[in-house]
Amino acid sequence: MTRETSAHALWLINGLTLLAAVIFLSPVLYSIWMSFQTSDAYYSGGIDFTLRNYDVAVGQYNFARYLLNSVIVSGIVTLLGISFATMAAFAFARFEFRGGNLMFGAVVATLMIPSHITLIPNYLTLARAGMLDSYAGLILPAISSGFAAFFLRQYIRGIPRALDEAAYMDGATPLKVLWRVIVPISKPAIFSMALQLFIAEWNNYIWPLVAISESDLFTLQIGLARLYRVNPGEDVIDWPLVMAASTITILPVLLGFVLVERHLVRGITMGAVK
Amino acid sequence: MLRKLTPYLFVLPLLGFMAVFTYYPILQSVNLSFREWDFMSPTKPWVGLDNYRLLLTTRDFWNSLKVTAVFALISVPLRLALALAVASFLIRETAVSRISRGAIFLPAVTSTVSIAVVFSWVFSTDYGAINGFIALLGFDKVPWMQDPQLALYVIIFVNTWKQLGYDVIIYTAGLQAISMEYYDAAAVDGGRRFHVFRRVTFPLVMPTTYFLLVISVIDAFQVFTIVDVMTRGGPAGATDMIVNMLYRVGFTLFDIGTGSALAVLLFILLIALALVKARVIGRRVHYDS
Repeated sequence: MTRETSAHALWLINGLTLLAAVIFLSPVLYSIWMSFQTSDAYYSGGIDFTLRNYDVAVGQYNFARYLLNSVIVSGIVTLLGISFATMAAFAFARFEFRGGNLMFGAVVATLMIPSHITLIPNYLTLARAGMLDSYAGLILPAISSGFAAFFLRQYIRGIPRALDEAAYMDGATPLKVLWRVIVPISKPAIFSMALQLFIAEWNNYIWPLVAISESDLFTLQIGLARLYRVNPGEDVIDWPLVMAASTITILPVLLGFVLVERHLVRGITMGAVK
Repeated sequence: MLRKLTPYLFVLPLLGFMAVFTYYPILQSVNLSFREWDFMSPTKPWVGLDNYRLLLTTRDFWNSLKVTAVFALISVPLRLALALAVASFLIRETAVSRISRGAIFLPAVTSTVSIAVVFSWVFSTDYGAINGFIALLGFDKVPWMQDPQLALYVIIFVNTWKQLGYDVIIYTAGLQAISMEYYDAAAVDGGRRFHVFRRVTFPLVMPTTYFLLVISVIDAFQVFTIVDVMTRGGPAGATDMIVNMLYRVGFTLFDIGTGSALAVLLFILLIALALVKARVIGRRVHYDS
């Protein structure tokens, strides 16, 4: 094989690989395209751009509100979840205290616990507290992340203790050491974990499905499932409208993904292949 | 004194929430699984093992166990084989490889509900992309999600499409951790590509395969969203996974006792699988050090 033909072959392989990647994603890409088409154009096979589907999704079906709910709930869950996990990770990594190992064991054990066993009891707990159909009801059961705590504890243990000692010498309190020394160094790990928490909560479906019946409090996932299910499986569905709602649901994570894919991949592989 | 309290204060928020929303619910599920209750009535009479007995004699339970097992048996090997093939193909750190891996990974972080909705369109009988293609070739339209013989395979396809990227990412990390020396040695021996893969790559990437195997089996037993959106367990129970049954029994039939018994059984099953995983990971850590 001459050098020239092998260069051509490489171009061909690269081209085919990228084509395969586009075909792989084509259902999602086409759903976005479809969301900008009028129903008439879609059903007759023509092309006719419009923003009407987004108008209807936001105006008639309340998707702006669902978007706001998803942002608020995922945002607060991420913020509280990562804070609590970091604080606990700091204590587990840096302090010797009675019961510490047992408590750490209890945190790690939650990694094995399937979340579905908590469904019915958490529903009852929140009903008793009068917190069903509220942001609190969506947020509270989701903020303790055993995985983030475990992962960050491993990370913090890798930071030289001399840095802490120096800060203590200067009269810093443990909280200051955490905030001024540990957190800045752990930023990449904290950021990866926060991303994973945010994505998981953004895409959470079964808990909001159980805990929310008030339509003003629907998250995007619930709103989309409801919109699609008006007539499930039948083809009287207004597909372009449904795809507009789906695009609103996907887009924030999609746009974020392009920016932070590397952090995300690193976080996931760090957790899995050590 | 305050110094001694410090670590407890740091772990308190996390452990407090875990106690209320993770550990207490386990005890509560076990407790409720021995009782009869419908969310409404003021009493919750103790019925012993009746809920378990009832569950083990209903066709619904055995059906959903069978459906979930079939789902796992097909989708797990499919995911791993495809992922290893893709990861091997895209192993070099070129721009094309990175972009392609990114494209494949994208569905793994995308909303499951959106994906289920989009594929409901892809597989829909009258306006779907696949039937449109089939009609173009002159064949009859196939009722993908209405045919009990086919619906489960549609679910498996969609789930595989969504999860593949995660497996690829993990395999890529696993493959890249294999030292080039092994390949060089195999190349010196004049190994052909497939031979090198079978004798060198495959055995060396085995720990990653074990890890993904257990993760994906555990995933398979917790599938809910795709089924809930696309088929709601139908047609005729053909896609009724364990968690879909749990949701139906607990939150549409309001049979708390039976729902809790089902949750406890699923819990025991998954803990058993998780212990296998812990042993596998334990062995790997041991192996590394």
